[in-house]
Order: sequence, then C-alpha cells, then structure tokens
Amino acid sequence: MTTSCGNLAQKAVTETAIKIDNLNKWYGDHHVLKDVSLDISEGEIMVVCGPSGSGKSTLIRSLNHLEEYQEGVVSVFGQPLSRDRQSHKIIHQTMGMVFQNFNLFPHLTVLQNCTLGLTWLRKMSEREADKMAMRLLDRVGIAHLATRYPGQLSGGQQQRVAISRSLAMEPKIMLFDEPTSALDPEMVKEVLDVMIDLAKTGMTMVCVTHEMQFARQVADRVVFMADGEIIEVGPPEQVLVNPQWDRTKEFLQHVL
Amino acid sequence: MDDLNVKNQPALKQFVPTPPRPPHKSERGVFGTIRHRCFNSIGNSLLTLCVATVLFYLVKHVLDWAVFNAVFIADNRRQCMDISPDGACWAGVISWFNGLIYGRFPIDEQWRVNIGVLLGLVWLLPLMSKRIPLRNFVLLSWIGLYPFVGGYLFLGGRFGAELGLVHGAMTCLALAFLVILYANWILSALGKKGLNELFVPLVSRFVERRIHLLSFVAVWLLVGLVIAFGLSQIALEPVPIDRWGGLFLTFIIAGFAITMAIPVGVILALGRRSKLPVIHWLSMTVIELVRSVPLITVLFMAVTLLPIFLPADMEFNKLTQVLVAVCLFAGAYMAENIRGGLQAIPKGQYEAAATLGLGYLHTMVLIILPQALRMMIPNIMTSFISLLKDTTLVSIIGLFDIMLMARNIANDKDWVGMHTEPLVMISVLFFILCYSMSQYSLNLEKRLKVDR
Ligand SMILES: Nc1ncnc2c1ncn2[C@@H]1O[C@H](COP(=O)(O)OP(=O)(O)OP(=O)(O)O)[C@@H](O)[C@H]1O
Ligand SMILES: [Mg+2]
Repeated sequence: MTTSCGNLAQKAVTETAIKIDNLNKWYGDHHVLKDVSLDISEGEIMVVCGPSGSGKSTLIRSLNHLEEYQEGVVSVFGQPLSRDRQSHKIIHQTMGMVFQNFNLFPHLTVLQNCTLGLTWLRKMSEREADKMAMRLLDRVGIAHLATRYPGQLSGGQQQRVAISRSLAMEPKIMLFDEPTSALDPEMVKEVLDVMIDLAKTGMTMVCVTHEMQFARQVADRVVFMADGEIIEVGPPEQVLVNPQWDRTKEFLQHVL
Repeated sequence: MDDLNVKNQPALKQFVPTPPRPPHKSERGVFGTIRHRCFNSIGNSLLTLCVATVLFYLVKHVLDWAVFNAVFIADNRRQCMDISPDGACWAGVISWFNGLIYGRFPIDEQWRVNIGVLLGLVWLLPLMSKRIPLRNFVLLSWIGLYPFVGGYLFLGGRFGAELGLVHGAMTCLALAFLVILYANWILSALGKKGLNELFVPLVSRFVERRIHLLSFVAVWLLVGLVIAFGLSQIALEPVPIDRWGGLFLTFIIAGFAITMAIPVGVILALGRRSKLPVIHWLSMTVIELVRSVPLITVLFMAVTLLPIFLPADMEFNKLTQVLVAVCLFAGAYMAENIRGGLQAIPKGQYEAAATLGLGYLHTMVLIILPQALRMMIPNIMTSFISLLKDTTLVSIIGLFDIMLMARNIANDKDWVGMHTEPLVMISVLFFILCYSMSQYSLNLEKRLKVDR
C-alpha cells in the first residue's frame, strides 16, 4: 500500500498554491510556531501529522487567517497575504475549510447550509444555488437528507455536509483540520472516501489527520510537526516508513 | 477460495435485527390516572379531599359574586346595591366599556381604530403560512411601515396635510406593500407569477442587472400612486393624541415596546460586545443606567427631562416621550437577554461563517442572531409579558390608558367608589393576554426545536 496515487505524479507543470515563509506565532510567551516554512504546489495533497499540541491546528488556521501570527508571510498563488480586505477576499475565494466538529449551522437545513454562501455572497438565484448544492450533496452521497437539519444527522453525514458546504464556494484549496477525529470508526471511512474522491479531482488539499492509512494512500507529501517546528517533509513512503528523525519514529510507533 | 475458508472455520452466525415493536401505551383512562395520581395512599387521598373542598368553596364564592349574584343591568351604583348587595356590579363596567377600550376617542371615529388594529393583524397573517412569496419581509415591513398606516388612521386629518407629505407617501407605500403581499399570496396559490414580476419583461429590455428588484420597485410605486390618489379623495376627522386611551393606547405602547425591544436590544447587545471603546462604553452605560432604575422613574425622566435636553423648538407630545422611554427600557432589558444568547453560540459558528466569506453583518443576521434569539425565546417572552404589564404604569404620568380609565370609573358620579369590578375585569383581560403569549412561546419553542 505504499504506492502513492496523489496528483503530483500526473501533473507536469505545477504552480505554488501556498507558500509559507518563516511563520512565527506566540500565545503570550508560548512560542507555538517556530520558523515554519513550507511550499504547497497546486494540486498537491499535503498531510500534516504530529503529536497533540505540536501546532498543527495553529498552522493550518493561520493559512486562512482564523489565527493571527506575529512574524512571517503566507502567500497564496503568489499573492502575499496581509490583514487587509484584498487578502480576505483572496482567502475566501481560494480556500475552504472543514473542521473537526463540523460547525454546521444548526438552524438551517442541510441544503440551506450549502446554499447560504451562494445566494448571499455569489448572489446566485435560489434555483441555481439549490441545483448546485444538490449536485454536491449527491457527490458525497447524502442528497436524500437535504431537507433535514444537522442535528438529525450522524457525525459522518454532518461532516460530509460540511465538505459540500465548503465545496459549494468552489475553492481551489481545501483545508481539513482533523476531519475524522470526532467520528466513530464506522463513520471515518465514509468521510475519508469522500476526501479520497476529492483528491482524485485535482484539488489542492492540506489535511491535519491521524489517519496514516489515508496519508499513505493519497498524500503527495507528509509533514511531521513537533513542538511548533516542521521536523520532516517528504513523500509518505519516506516519512512514514523510513523516518530520518528519532522524534518521528517515536510518534509513528504510537499511532501505527 | 471463499469455499476453503468456510470449510476450515466455523460458519459465522448471521445477525438478524429484531423486528420493531409499537411503543407501550398507557391503558389507564381519565379515572385511572386520577386514582393513580391523587388517591394512591391514605395520606394523599386525605390531602386530595382537603384541597378539593377548599377549591370548591373558593370557586363557589367567586362564582356567586361574579356571576350568580351579579348585576348586569342598572343605571347607577345605588341601583346595583339595591338589587343585590353582595354581588358584582358589572353594569358600571359595561356602561364604561367603550371608554375602557377606546379611551376618549370620539365615538364616530372609533371604526378607524378597529380598522387599524385589524389591518395590523391582517398584515401579520402571512406569517402563519409556511411558504408564501415575500414571507421574509412580512415582519420587517410590519415594523417599518405599519406605524405609518396606524398613524394615518388614528390621527386622521386631510391626506398629506396635517401629518406632512413624507408621512402620506410612506402610508401609501405601506398599503401598497400590503396589497402586493396579498396579491402575491393569491397569485402563487393559483400557480401564477407574483405581482412584483409584472414589469420584468419590460425592465429587462433596458437593464441587465437587478431586473427583479427594479420590477418590484416599479410595481410598488405604481400601486402606491393609485392608493395615494384614492386617499387624497377622503379627509379623516383629526383626532388629537390626548384623546387616545384605554386598551387601545395600552396596545400601542406595549406593541411599540415589544416590536422595538428586539432591534434596540440587538443593537445595544452587539454594541456592548464591540471592540470599539466608544461604542462599547456607550452601550454599556445605556444598558446599566436604564436597568438600574425603575420604569416609573424612566417615564418621569422622559417626560420632564427630555424636553430640557432637546432643542426648544422641537415639539413633543407626552406619548412620543413615553414611547421613547419605554423603548429604551425594553431595549436595555432585551440587550441582556440577547447577550446571554450570543455568549452561548460556540466560536466554531463564527469561524465557519468566516471561512465561507461572510462578513460581520451577514454572520450576525444569518447565523448568530437567529440562533441566539431562538435560544432565548423563553426569556424574551417573559420580558414581553412583563412589558405588557408594566405599560400600565403610564397611567401614573397621566396617559389615559386602560388603568387610568378604570380608576376613573370610581370618580363618575353614577358609579362613585366602584373600584373592584374594573380591576377584576382588567386582571382577567391581562391574564388572557399574557397566558396566550406564554402559550404561544411554548408552541414556538416546540416548533423550532426540530433544528437542534
Ligand atoms: N487560544 C490559545 N491560547 C493559548 N495557547 C493556545 C491556544 N490555542 C492553542 N494553544 C497552544 O498552542 C499549542 C498548539 O496548539 P494546536 O491546537 O495548534 O495543537 P495541535 O497540534 O492542533 O494539537 P491537537 O492534535 O491536539 O489538535 C498548544 O501547546 C496549545 O496549548
Ligand atoms: Mg488541533
């Protein structure tokens, strides 16, 4: 199972989708990201793993400005981001995010969750938006639940709705922060299958996950983080099978 | 190769789910339940009997006074006493009934009050139906436009003269909206396109964007013009505000307080959470100041202080001052309710909204406030009920609301000293109003619970 089926192999020319340059972040005196630099190419599937508290969430949330950082630059498709309107626009047009605890809007139906951004931000007509959302819901296999409320769905179904909701805005990059950690084992697979399908479409993906099986199957590269630093970056067969660092090896022994 | 495995290992048992059974039903009828609940032990039986006896005597006395020994037809209090000394004298309440409801509103013009209140209710009726065109705008238009219609009907005057042209124009637009709302309702039931789409083909010839909006505006203005022409043909008798009174005035004040409570409360609550120091401190001062003072002082302050602070040439009547005061008071209390709701919304909701690209206004209006308000329905309803009851305080500063009218009965030379009956009537009336509000809130809560 060490053969990678990522996108990079099929892509001849690749552009840099995200460029992280010397990112540093502190919570008070606590230095949580230390000189993190990383390039993610367009169409690449990047899996981020590492022990709890190593700063994975902080890193991925810095990319779309859910967290502030004190030093460093993040560029998206060559555009360095700052805190201005223009950057916000770029972020929202290019990046979607899926959270560990779904964060669906509980007062809206599944369909409304997906069409909200389309009708209010894209000014799409209701009929068009519904059609597009239904297509996405169908793709993740829950079109029949469109009129339900999130509270009436299982965790796996909710996470698939969350993925459709993000996809509805047609992002170029999808960020996943432990999308399967809050799920029962039986539901993990249904969400991972959706993510694998998504990976095959050529979407650029950054996934924080502890699913090593998934990493080996679809990742182009795996990043191993500990204590706010990137310790190893490389193809999954290298980082996960022949790690260069003791810290990585120790971690892998725990999760595998 | 599957066959091989099967032979070597013991065959797996196949799991068949147990067929579902209907839920257990209670076999006890009414009597069974009563026996089970009230007579399940000797002590309990005795207690039940005691309470039942007390209840019986209480109810009997009340009924004797209020119904069996009561006098319904009499000319004055003396006659009442002569007919039945220990019964209620409803004749007084009946003869003052009109005053209790309309205050001193001229009798010939009271139809305007009826029509106005009816229009207000008719306007809200579409909320009952789940799917009708423009439903989202019903409440908004009611808050924003209905007051103009109400003002026109209740104050009267020649169209566009006494109340000014702006008010006249708004009245026409308001009525036009109502007409379009109902026309759309009927048309959509017939499977036809809404009235507001009437000009879509025409408009689309000239512009490319916002065709539907422009068509809607055009239809709206056109209907408004027709209505304006109609209204300009009639002149209503002017009725000064100090003739307003009774239940009618109570409804106006309470209705205003209730409808303004949420918008003002939301603004104050969001202001209090604002990161801008000026807005934060301003909202906080208003909330804390108003909340730490009894309503009666707020009312007195509004009547005595407001004219001092504001420029001298600004004319105010007492009702406007009271409305401002009540609105502030209601808003300050509501702000704390809403803040409680806002605090209960998890951070993830804001983050999810942000990653979709929703800005502050969209996030608040579409995501956060609907959830916060839903969560606080019981508290909000409690506030509304207290507001309705609190508005009777305005009688103290001399507005002829239902309370003051009731106390006036005792000053009438025919009904001197009659205090009990009007107060009982008001209590019953308020009980009915408040109880239906609390029932409605329970109903609303149940209906919205599906979402969670
Ligand atoms: N709001 C905060 N205030 C202070 N410290 C924080 C805050 N959020 C996170 N931290 C700290 O930052 C560090 C990195 O946290 P982060 O959530 O990024 O870890 P993680 O790798 O995602 O862990 P996990 O696998 O448990 O999700 C941790 O040491 C954590 O204690
Ligand atoms: Mg995390």
